Amino acid sequence: MKAVTLKYSSALALALIIGGCASPGGSIYVPAGGSSRDVEDAPEPPRSEREAAPTRTERKSEQPSESAAEPEQERRTGSPSYQEAGDQLSPAAKSLIQQADSLLAQGNAPAAIAQLERAQRIAPRSAEVYFKLSEAYVAAGQLGSAEQFTLKGLSLAGSDARLQRSGWMLLADIRRERGNVAGANQAEQRANAL
Amino acid sequence: MTCLQPCRFRYTRAMKKTSPPKKSVKKKTGKGRSARRPWFWRLFWRVSLIGLVLLAGWMVYLDAVVTSRFEGRRFEVPSRVYARPLELYDGASVSSGSLQRELELSGFRKGDGVRPGTYSRSGGRFLISSRGFLFADGLEPRRRLALTIYSDRVQEFRVVEGDNAPIVRLEPAQIGGIYPAHKEDRVLVQLEDVPDLLTDALLTIEDRGFYEHYGVAPLSIGRALLVNLQAGRVVQGGSTLTQQLVKNFFLTREQALIRKGNEALMSVLLELHYEKDDILETYLNEVYLGQAGTRSIHGFGLASQFYFGESIRDLDLHQVALLVAMVKGPSYYNPRRHPERALARRNLVIDVMADDGIVSAAEASKARARPLGVSERPSYSENRYPAYIDLVRRHLSRDYKEEDLRSEGLRIFTTLHPGIQYAAEFAVTDTLSRMDSGSRDTTLESAMVVTARDSGEVLALVGGRDPQFAGFNRALDARRPIGSLIKPFIYLTALQDPERYTLISPVEDKGFALVFDDDRRWEPKNFDKKERGEVPLHQALSRSYNLPAVRVGLDVGVDAVQETLQAFGVTSPISRYPSMLLGSVSMTPVTVAQIYQGLATSGFNTPLRTIRQVTDASGEALSRYSLEVDQVADPAAVHLVQYAMQETMQEGTGRAAYRSVPQQLSLAGKTGTTDDGRDAWFAGFSGDLLAVTWIGRDDNGPTTLTGSTGALPVWARFMEQVPQHGFSPVVPDGVTYHWVNAQRQALTDEHCDNARLVPFMAGSEPAQEVTCAGNLQRRIRGWFEGLFQ
Repeated sequence: MKAVTLKYSSALALALIIGGCASPGGSIYVPAGGSSRDVEDAPEPPRSEREAAPTRTERKSEQPSESAAEPEQERRTGSPSYQEAGDQLSPAAKSLIQQADSLLAQGNAPAAIAQLERAQRIAPRSAEVYFKLSEAYVAAGQLGSAEQFTLKGLSLAGSDARLQRSGWMLLADIRRERGNVAGANQAEQRANAL
Repeated sequence: MTCLQPCRFRYTRAMKKTSPPKKSVKKKTGKGRSARRPWFWRLFWRVSLIGLVLLAGWMVYLDAVVTSRFEGRRFEVPSRVYARPLELYDGASVSSGSLQRELELSGFRKGDGVRPGTYSRSGGRFLISSRGFLFADGLEPRRRLALTIYSDRVQEFRVVEGDNAPIVRLEPAQIGGIYPAHKEDRVLVQLEDVPDLLTDALLTIEDRGFYEHYGVAPLSIGRALLVNLQAGRVVQGGSTLTQQLVKNFFLTREQALIRKGNEALMSVLLELHYEKDDILETYLNEVYLGQAGTRSIHGFGLASQFYFGESIRDLDLHQVALLVAMVKGPSYYNPRRHPERALARRNLVIDVMADDGIVSAAEASKARARPLGVSERPSYSENRYPAYIDLVRRHLSRDYKEEDLRSEGLRIFTTLHPGIQYAAEFAVTDTLSRMDSGSRDTTLESAMVVTARDSGEVLALVGGRDPQFAGFNRALDARRPIGSLIKPFIYLTALQDPERYTLISPVEDKGFALVFDDDRRWEPKNFDKKERGEVPLHQALSRSYNLPAVRVGLDVGVDAVQETLQAFGVTSPISRYPSMLLGSVSMTPVTVAQIYQGLATSGFNTPLRTIRQVTDASGEALSRYSLEVDQVADPAAVHLVQYAMQETMQEGTGRAAYRSVPQQLSLAGKTGTTDDGRDAWFAGFSGDLLAVTWIGRDDNGPTTLTGSTGALPVWARFMEQVPQHGFSPVVPDGVTYHWVNAQRQALTDEHCDNARLVPFMAGSEPAQEVTCAGNLQRRIRGWFEGLFQ
């Protein structure tokens, strides 16, 4: 277990430090109603489109008609969205991860996991949080969970080669520890290919 | 509960006196035997002896009652259910209105933002003074916070006083309780937590001689008797605190001489065995101080919260005096119902305190001048979230016994998000009442589930169109066919094989008939009864065409689709008839939310949770319910399905959502409709939230609604109210985007006609290319498009 910790932790720490400098990405935050309008503060007057809703009801079709009547609906509203990298950590999330780090250093993995779950709730699209959870689960001796959180982190690492690399190395270590040599080698190859 | 000091969990009477001073009852036998009337004395002695033996026996019995019940007694303390605590930090997503509602729900009062438990607001600027709270992972200390809400986000977050931290949790709102059968509610306090002012006032008013008497105070009984005789009615009680406690503790409420006798005897016995402070502490927790519906308010700890929304530690003189004033008659002096009476008696108490020198005359006159200061309403109302609590209780029942929940004072930390719950309830009630006015149809019902997309925490649950009604919980118990909600799982199964299927694979939108062995025929139809010939797969999904879905489903196999559904979290048996490909399989809204969690998170199944943690009354963790993830599908294949589900919102059956939802909020989702509109479904997600809505009738009757016209408006009404991140999935390893012409099955240039940017699993993109060199005009337009947008 000790060897595992040594092997990946340096790579992970590196990724987390440098990850902060990666290209800015992140999901778009949209305030309610597109503005700071609040339901209770300013009860919204009924909108005309909504009053027209019953006429749609009569159409009884789940499919949009090919000749859509509403002009604003003819054009598509955008194209499906995607991003090349996960979100960055906010200072608040970073501070929780630091707390978790010191708890891990004290050998208190369950408390570290509790703090990391707080971090996950406010930064659910950051690969780093999941890699840290994986580290905490390794410390807790729950390698199955550790492997899953590594995979989850990898799914969010996107084009960030350093995060990808440290994620695959972490996965290789965990799989080897679990006796899955083939899976470990495969993960290692992925890491080295980056 | 704002129990900073750990409340004592087991309320045992450890402090039994080590050597109770034995007091044998001795009768004076002053006179000798009289020779004149020996028969009389003989009889007298015999009767006396028998009486004495009986009395002694009775005393032994009472003593056993008193010691065993007082000794072994622990208060049955209800379990408290909390919402998730609000986390405040720079960038936290919350609107001003929602923050204010949340503060009120957590028992904060509008004030100066300096006194603990108050906040002040000026526009988007908030000052909050937290009380501190003992969480299972540690104490969140008292702090004063300053922040500004701008564009529905916390900005300029600052700790003004107290431990500095970039992120702070407020005390969570209590959203329910699990009560003992007798419905007594209390918050246990220890004597050292109770301000001296309160105990001094209590003893002055109720029992001056408490620390001197032996349980009964004959003098005060005599005095009370005199006063009552003079007045001709009961004006004053002569009971000591001990007697009052005995009365509440051991005896029934009937007024009888025998009972009075027992009360006195038991009081003396209690005093023999136990320290004064033990008796006083028990009294402080036992005394009845009010009523909230069927729930009775016991003890000063809870009364302080119930009437003032404050911890007993923080009470001022006028508040202390009011609580003490109410001991005499909690309903007669109810400050919410009879403020004049309560005020008069409160001031009387203040006067007596001043007379006795407990407070100075100046303090007293200042306190007398203050209003009652009672909070508007009890800090939380019972059963505000019946559907949600129902789910919490079902989850609890897996690990806890009902009797423990009712009596052990457990603290249950749930994942309920009051702001999201508010928005969900509003979306359901508002949309359904609009539909009513269109069709005069008041039998439509609805259910809604909202979860956090990446953690699986259930944030809100609506069990019907009347969210306050604690009846049939449709979100958990209405098992209905899911219709087209099944289609993403069919296409996911297909897309996992990139050699055979891509998003632009042509699929046939053409009718056919299946003939079974027993000669039955099945001829699926499109919803609009049209047939379109060949359509690309992504379009078949975003427009929810039935015929291609069934064809693809039969091609990959019903069993394979069934396996996908099971991997994503369906545990009940799934029919293997081909009709399952059109969603004949029934599920509850919660189950739909569970299986869509995997679609929303790139193939990671995340078990839904309503409980983060359960602790005992002292804050010690009993169980934690951790985040779990389990990869059940290839993230690359899920990414392709997510593409088509986004297209659903932009071009397909879900696009009506953007009539009200801001354009920049990217969403993904899927409609579902069953025969004759018996069920209208919508399931979809943003970057932060996953929501499932259902509309139908309890009797399974037909409606004129579809997923698009029934369930989607509720869903959209919800989404438009909540500030959140758009859905923008990270491109997984092994997926690349290409501009393609689906009709020609070829790569093409960005600005060619019919060009579409589509994700492919590596190697599955088309090999050939088509150019549109001839269409220079179109290309020029394309180049400039970017410039002027």
